[in-house]
Amino acid sequence: MLKIPAVIYDKMINHCKSELPDEACGILAGKDDTISEIYCMENIAKSPESFLMNPKEQLQVAKDLRKKNLKILAIFHSHPSTPAKPSEKDISMAFYEDLLYVIISLKDKEPVTRVFSIKNQNIKEVPYYTDTLNKM
Amino acid sequence: MKLNNEQIERYSRQIILREVGGKGQERLLSSKVLVIGAGGLGSPALYYLAAAGVGTLGIVDADFVDITNLQRQIIHSTSDIGKEKVISAKEKIEKINPEVRVITYNTMVNSQNIREIIRDYDFIIDGTDNFPAKFLINDACYFENKPYSHGGILRFQGQTMTYVPGSTCYRCIFNSPPPKGVVPSCSEAGIIGAMAGLLGTIQASETIKYLLSAGELLTGKLLFVDLLATEFRVIEFRKNKKCPLCGENREIFELQDYEQYVCEDIREE
Repeated sequence: MLKIPAVIYDKMINHCKSELPDEACGILAGKDDTISEIYCMENIAKSPESFLMNPKEQLQVAKDLRKKNLKILAIFHSHPSTPAKPSEKDISMAFYEDLLYVIISLKDKEPVTRVFSIKNQNIKEVPYYTDTLNKM
Repeated sequence: MKLNNEQIERYSRQIILREVGGKGQERLLSSKVLVIGAGGLGSPALYYLAAAGVGTLGIVDADFVDITNLQRQIIHSTSDIGKEKVISAKEKIEKINPEVRVITYNTMVNSQNIREIIRDYDFIIDGTDNFPAKFLINDACYFENKPYSHGGILRFQGQTMTYVPGSTCYRCIFNSPPPKGVVPSCSEAGIIGAMAGLLGTIQASETIKYLLSAGELLTGKLLFVDLLATEFRVIEFRKNKKCPLCGENREIFELQDYEQYVCEDIREE
């Protein structure tokens, strides 16, 4: 079960809200199944229906992760006006079988967050939990 | 763990109780309680446990706040409609007592995940609204050697019982879930909000008593409450030799998922 610290969860939701009406995206990193770092990324597609991370930022994240000895565990992105489930495009772009895909729907007043593993077009929802320990 | 001045002040009205004291308060602060279901029973239970300073509260619920919940599920407000129940509950707990650590599980318990979820906790509260979940929680607590509080409500009536490893379990009394359609759900039969409040509060009090080793628990006893008659009855139930879970001829050796059929609320997408 994926563990997302509540501070990171809140940061992720706030980033998604701040990028409206466009999709927002980012990287969640950590160890085993515990997230300990969030990287809010620029969506260079600047679109309400798709996202593309900035390669320069990705390089910086890779360096930072090496320094901190962490691994990318999940990629998150928002759906400004559709439900929190992978779109056809999300599925076809899910190149990393070991990663989880976090989707935040902002179509209603309240955000809805879901986590998926996507392997060979096979979508499975993955349970997650948040923890307020270590408030920052 | 030593209490600081603010804690001594915040919890002073219970610290002066002989059953609590400084030691008991420290014990509450270092305890972990899991509430399954942030609904009618979970709302008051979470409120009182947070206020009393139970250090870690886990909340399991996969549902979203709906306007029909608000008549009894008092941890959620009108402005929370559409919000994940676990998030709505977490926000209220943080307002009452920011020093409580809150762990939210936005999922439904099932035979695959429940043992892993409850393993970390000292006490579990069953605040669910359906029989499959109640039997699942009972069985999982039996297998994991965890104490828990059972609660069930309908219309103006409710029942509750406390289980500790070795005591009468839910299956000792109710062998297996009733057949489909026999027992109406809350949405079919109705429920008075105060009934949920009363029963969830008793569950919170049982939890605190267990954590403090104080008083007498509702173990081996089922408490029936009828608010229309304003009647409380305690019925004793010994362990059942024929219990399929903990009896002499055990039939259940692993968790099973019964068909989910009561109070089911599938969110439209």
